[in-house]
Amino acid sequence: MNMPSDADLLAKWRARPAPLLPLLHEFHERDGFLSEESLRAISEDLRIPIADLFGTITFYHHFSRDPDGYARARVCTGPICALAGANELLAGLPNAQAMPCPGRCDEPIPVLDRDRVLCGTTVAELASRPSPLPPAPHPDVEECVFAHIRTPGRATLAGYRASGGYAGLENALRGRPDALLDIIDASGLAGRGGAGFPTGRKWRAVAEAAGEPRTIVCNADEGEPGCFKDRALMDYDPHAVIEGMIAAGFATGAMRGFIYLRYEYPDTLHILETALEEARDAGLLGPDALGPGRPFDLWVRRGAGAYICGEETSLLNSLEGKHPFPRNRPPFPVTHGYEDLPTVVNNVETLASVPHILVHGADWYRGLGIGDHAGTKVISLSGDVARPGNYEVPMGFPLMTLIDDWAGGVPGGRKIQAVTMAGLSGGFLAGEALDVTLDEPDIRSKGSFLGAGGIMVFDDSRDMIEVAHSAMEFFAEESCGKCFPCRIGTQRLTERLHGDGPPDIGAWIDEVHDLGDTMMQTSACGLGQAAPLITESLIRYFPDRVSRHVAQSV
Amino acid sequence: MSDNSGNGTGFDFEITLDGEKVGVRRGESLYEVSERHRKEIPTLCYDPRLEAFGGCRLCIVELDGARNPVASCTMRAEPGMRITTRSARLDMHRRVLMEMVASENRDMDVDPLSGYASQEMAVLLDRYDARTGRFAGARSGRSRPDDDNPFILRDYENCISCYRCVRVCAEQEGDYAISVMNRGFETQITTEFEGLLGDSACTFCGQCVQTCPTGALADIKALANADVPGETEKTRTVCPYCGVGCAVDLMSRGDKLIGVQPAMDGPANEGALCVKGQFAFDFVQHPDRLAYPMVRGEDGELHETDWDTALDRAAAGFTAAVENHGRHSVYGVASGRAPHEAAYMMQRFIRGAFGTNQIDNCSRA
Repeated sequence: MNMPSDADLLAKWRARPAPLLPLLHEFHERDGFLSEESLRAISEDLRIPIADLFGTITFYHHFSRDPDGYARARVCTGPICALAGANELLAGLPNAQAMPCPGRCDEPIPVLDRDRVLCGTTVAELASRPSPLPPAPHPDVEECVFAHIRTPGRATLAGYRASGGYAGLENALRGRPDALLDIIDASGLAGRGGAGFPTGRKWRAVAEAAGEPRTIVCNADEGEPGCFKDRALMDYDPHAVIEGMIAAGFATGAMRGFIYLRYEYPDTLHILETALEEARDAGLLGPDALGPGRPFDLWVRRGAGAYICGEETSLLNSLEGKHPFPRNRPPFPVTHGYEDLPTVVNNVETLASVPHILVHGADWYRGLGIGDHAGTKVISLSGDVARPGNYEVPMGFPLMTLIDDWAGGVPGGRKIQAVTMAGLSGGFLAGEALDVTLDEPDIRSKGSFLGAGGIMVFDDSRDMIEVAHSAMEFFAEESCGKCFPCRIGTQRLTERLHGDGPPDIGAWIDEVHDLGDTMMQTSACGLGQAAPLITESLIRYFPDRVSRHVAQSV
Repeated sequence: MSDNSGNGTGFDFEITLDGEKVGVRRGESLYEVSERHRKEIPTLCYDPRLEAFGGCRLCIVELDGARNPVASCTMRAEPGMRITTRSARLDMHRRVLMEMVASENRDMDVDPLSGYASQEMAVLLDRYDARTGRFAGARSGRSRPDDDNPFILRDYENCISCYRCVRVCAEQEGDYAISVMNRGFETQITTEFEGLLGDSACTFCGQCVQTCPTGALADIKALANADVPGETEKTRTVCPYCGVGCAVDLMSRGDKLIGVQPAMDGPANEGALCVKGQFAFDFVQHPDRLAYPMVRGEDGELHETDWDTALDRAAAGFTAAVENHGRHSVYGVASGRAPHEAAYMMQRFIRGAFGTNQIDNCSRA
């Protein structure tokens, strides 16, 4: 096979939408790293100042400037994999490097080897296999996004259609965009990526905003440690995501869309691209997708390893080829999104809910939740539980019922010491706070938040200082460096959890509280605002352990 | 037209600023409105010439209805907003932020000769009484002592990652010579491939130096005069190098010129200069500069003489050239270092005395 030349690659991408990331990936894979010559060629062709381009590629974990960079295996050393022996596995793999959680906590330990994901807890065990399906559902509870996910062949267009796929969209396309917006409004569907913003309101804002073309962006940069639900949805039900995006395009008057997929899901990339090809061949995408002469098309763009790119404005900058700092808000993406034009940014799960709502109706979806809570939520459950995996629960479902009854409880006769919320961003819940229902108001009343729905369980043998330290180290490494409180604060909190800082417990707590308070109140985006929940909840639930930690540090 | 209300105030709407109703022009940020009313909101990442960035978070204000304080530099004023620019909570956050800044830096006090804005951090540290030693830990930034350019000191151990240098380079100068690499605490200001400024797109205009609030980027030529005794005096004048008319402040101690800073309120340049206006001032007091007339003797060497002798020799030379080769054998190039009056005299001399239009000025180059 002939290697494509620089000119081939530049000619292939320069006229396509959002060309920078795919171009960088092509050069990176071709050469095994990003050479100075490649970067200069790209800089000149895309007219990006070379200093800017150089700075931007250093932002991403997976772009390497070392000649053997691409070939180096990356081993997850995230919170769950650390429990499973990730550091030993890393030591046993020559030339491997650590990476933050790549979203395989239901099957530790993932190793990213170029464009393959291998899993296993020892070197001998490492093998590539399809990502785990969600465990069988509880018989008494009705699912939404997972309703057909276990049906074999659902990922193909034929299989998707056979289980009712695209019927809701085709029906909606015969009506008016307004009618579709009304259904989404009435369903109570809200953002499942963590922010919980009402989807109907977001779509309507984009439909009413001035400026064209409008864009639909699917945020598939599932970077939160302990979250792996979007991976399951895209791997086994990619057409549901595509159908949701086309519906969003019709409702808002958009004609283009992107799926911004995290780098760590190479298998998912192929699945999505196959599904998009099928959809394009079937005319579901393309020049007449939304009706005669009404185009809509979608492209996948891969990130390159940067947690902050899951923040929607950082994602948009990344997609545009800019330095992925978050933008100042307002203005919001609904008016100033991709290329400063009106843009919907929705999470995978949110979009995957839409086809089901279109088939079964708004009332059905709303009724899936418990009490006043609309719909369902996928929880990625991992750590010290018998059956880790993705569980779709009714909104308002009791946490302990999920852990004990559905997931088999804590193995080995141990007890729960703590769980995380929102992956890591929600900090810890422990003790009586575990008596909580899985919905935003109840979790917020405990000083945390549900977020994207990642929950990691730690039994009573785990050292919570160590867990908190590795969590804060993650936030420090992923802080973008734009705003002072987060850039300095995550570093200082990491140092204090590592054993540095004042030797006196009073002074230690004062510093940690002051750092945390100012980070929460003044940080520019959710990363810095949420990171101190780790230290705040640690001090709240484990004061004795914190005192011992400070005393031992002297 | 900003005044649509017809009330003749020039304002479009009102907000409540610290309990007082004040007028706002559409598009103004809360920071801009507050500054007009002298609220002295602290900031380290703000430069009025640049797009607001929202990095340092010191300019936070309380906005009624918002859960957290908002950064006033990036928040546009909207009709009816009610904001508070000072409160115990804001002061507490600002102090903690300044303590955090202090904790990552090596030097709190830098020589004012470093640059125009170099005292901003030190001033705020004192205002918020933030030299407390709290939050001690790793320090950020790698200095570049290997960059041996004669103009710009790259002392990144004093960098606080406000990115004013990167932004002024892109937004004001249009050079895009520097950028931000890595992220979080590892963030570092860099050129392409971490090279030297001289190998980059840098034109050494010095604007990064003048907007740096900590002296991390500093004026090497001015700092070389740090030991010159006396108080620094600033004299406003116009740069003589070209026709733009950039306003500069010449810095002197006693009768020694020690450096140049751009005038931020210079109508032609608004703080911008080029490498010549910023750094090329040595000629003024250079030992090789002519201090008296000299003529070449029979021995081929230059000898001191009086003005009459020197001018006679020059006139004889010109006259001989014109007689032998015609009036267009003379070409006058006025020095960019000469004052404007001298430049005018020069062109009168060439046109009037010789009758040729071959007159030029080195500033055109």
